[in-house]
Amino acid sequence: MEPEEGRNTRAVSRRTLIASAALVPAWVPVAALTARAQPAVAPATVLSSAERKTLEAFVDRLVPKDEFGPGAVECGAANYIDVQLAGALAAEKTNFVAGLAAIDAFARKSQDAGFAELGPEKRDALITAMEGGSAEGFANSRAVFARIRRLTLEGMFSDPHYGGNTNFAGWDLIRYPGPRLAVGPEEQSMTGSIKPYRRSAWPESPNAGGGATGGSNGRH
Amino acid sequence: MAAINLKPVDVAVIGLGAAGGVAVLPLTRAGLKVAGLEAGTWMDPHSFRPDEIHNNVRRLVTTIPKANREMPTIRDSATGAARPRGSIHPMMNAVGGTSIHYWASHWRLKEWDFKARSEIIKRYGGGAIPKGSTLEDWPITYDDLEPYYDIVEHEVGVSGKAGNIQGKLDPAGNIFEAPRRREYPMPPLRGSGYTDMMAKAARDLGWHPFRGPAAINSQEYRGRPGCAFHGYCSAGGCHISAKNSTAVTTIPEAQKTKNLTIFERADVRRIVADSDGKVSGVSYVRDGQEYFQPAKVVLLASYTYENSRLLLLSKSKAYPNGLSNNHGQVGRHYFAHHQGGGVSALFPFDINVWYGAPAQSTVVDDFADDNYDHSSDGFVGGTTLTAATEMHPIEAASMDTYGRGPSWGSKWKAFVRENAARWNTCYLQTSSFPYATSFLDLDPEVRDPLGDPVCRVTTGGGKANEQQAVQFAQKKMEEWFRAAGAIEVRRPSGAGGAPGLSTHAYGGTRMGDNPYTSVVDKWGFSHEAPNLGVLGGSVMGTSGARNPTETVQALAWRTAERLVKNWKSIPG
Repeated sequence: MEPEEGRNTRAVSRRTLIASAALVPAWVPVAALTARAQPAVAPATVLSSAERKTLEAFVDRLVPKDEFGPGAVECGAANYIDVQLAGALAAEKTNFVAGLAAIDAFARKSQDAGFAELGPEKRDALITAMEGGSAEGFANSRAVFARIRRLTLEGMFSDPHYGGNTNFAGWDLIRYPGPRLAVGPEEQSMTGSIKPYRRSAWPESPNAGGGATGGSNGRH
Repeated sequence: MAAINLKPVDVAVIGLGAAGGVAVLPLTRAGLKVAGLEAGTWMDPHSFRPDEIHNNVRRLVTTIPKANREMPTIRDSATGAARPRGSIHPMMNAVGGTSIHYWASHWRLKEWDFKARSEIIKRYGGGAIPKGSTLEDWPITYDDLEPYYDIVEHEVGVSGKAGNIQGKLDPAGNIFEAPRRREYPMPPLRGSGYTDMMAKAARDLGWHPFRGPAAINSQEYRGRPGCAFHGYCSAGGCHISAKNSTAVTTIPEAQKTKNLTIFERADVRRIVADSDGKVSGVSYVRDGQEYFQPAKVVLLASYTYENSRLLLLSKSKAYPNGLSNNHGQVGRHYFAHHQGGGVSALFPFDINVWYGAPAQSTVVDDFADDNYDHSSDGFVGGTTLTAATEMHPIEAASMDTYGRGPSWGSKWKAFVRENAARWNTCYLQTSSFPYATSFLDLDPEVRDPLGDPVCRVTTGGGKANEQQAVQFAQKKMEEWFRAAGAIEVRRPSGAGGAPGLSTHAYGGTRMGDNPYTSVVDKWGFSHEAPNLGVLGGSVMGTSGARNPTETVQALAWRTAERLVKNWKSIPG
């Protein structure tokens, strides 16, 4: 038999231990305990610095920093992708890196410079060509574009536990009010505004603060 | 390595999910000794997190990825190429099965669904039966199943508002529902700003909206709390056990009798039959060791794909083509529910659908089943329209831009900043029927890690009747969204092809009176192996326009009760 109780089941056991050791039903007090107990260890990444630079230069154009706030890079989307390719998405690392190499080769061929060295307009032109399927040197440039875009969205709008959504800036951008564990009728109304609840669903995670110095500890 | 023979039991139940998890209760209460063979394990409610990546993107709410390892293959015709094979099965393995992470929308079917064939012929003539369909009336009627719907609603716990109590209509509930003997055990889940807005819009159109029934507590019920509406119900387990999966309802009740033994991490590989045609027990593997669980009766209660696969794999002298398949009916009359619909809407204001649950819904039944005259439609059957809550942030930002902006860059960012909180999808469920071209069998090439062929789905392609019904419903949904104030509605130009791997998969072991067109009798027992019963959507011959679980559970209770009442006559 293969070891079917892999990563997932072990992770459940570990966090169950943490929760039961604290003997509290809700997670908020547990978070308060564990957030301090765990040192902030940077999770493993897998991209080379050149690959990471290409990726950042790409996602920076997908969602730029502007008057509406941080962009994909500032939100940690590239970091999310890097961390996940080293972990849960390891199976697609080879393909993903090949896509980054194709992007860089496309830039060198058409613009005589690496993708990360190009200015915003030139990068936009190359991304547009990829999105439209006219970029050269790719098996399928549309698929490469779509995958990076999808993972960028995941990185911007997922729980900070996974390495993105720094300072919950992604959730702020779209007015996602946060993962409350109990929601009252007034928080489901269409009148009035809901106070954002900025907390990770994984309070024991090194990234639980979303890179922030604390976030809201209050329970609503 | 030789198989280890376990202590014989009265009944072996394969799969402790929505169906098997219900059947064990009447069996054990009656004093029968039951072995529950479950591929997954127990889940701890503390492991359930409000996390979109974990629940919805990677679908990690499961204890054992058995379903993923046995992913069925899909092709659209017997001569066509296989579709790309998926890696994440929509169903899960655990004690409680998919009832842990489902939406918990809990419906009764209607009178029409049980006799659609004769009703269609009566109202529209024989030519209205969808071409190529193998539709037949169920061997039982709504009235036969009503007592069991009632039992299940109370044992599992369902929230809702009755629209028809013994013929007395109440417009606060669903006036189109079949008559029920009494009110639901709990009032409906509360409305939200969005579902209330949609209810008003439906009433303005002259329709009859109501709050959808749910196996979720709207208030404390049997010691468990009411729903917290936290918005991570879909594909997520309930952190406070307010969702009434069998893992927190009927299975713990059955354990109290001391008559239920649960065998976790049991990969069932074969149901064993004697040369006289009776089944003698179940062979399973755990940690590389093979076990044999002898049983006087076996109830097969895995999911639709696995029910057919296990029967087809269980070949013996008495059943050379697979257990209970001497009439070639196993795998036949398979179909998947047309669901989804792909209609979305953009509003000019925040609609606040982040929290709640998909079962916190406003439903319109006016266009379902045969609730209106289809004479000029060109199709039979119909669709329930559902407007519900629960939106997650990645999903929200992945929105359509409705032609109002590009898909990336500063303008995209400005677009989602304004609109990610202003759009929603809907849920359309359309009556779907079995066809001769849709069936399940064993894949000739693809095998699971234990070396057994996986299930192969042949969808039969898109069916004209269902496609037209879906398109009709999509237009009605657009009308509804617009009445509520939507400024953009995205409605697909087509109805999509045949559904692929589905959480609403039916047939393969159809229930019927005729062994040449069905696998189990009207009680759910094999026409061929007298001490083998089958539970699940695989016995259903029609889908209705509703989520199947309550019907699956009512049928499971009825089969189990039949077994109890006839126990003395069980051979062996």
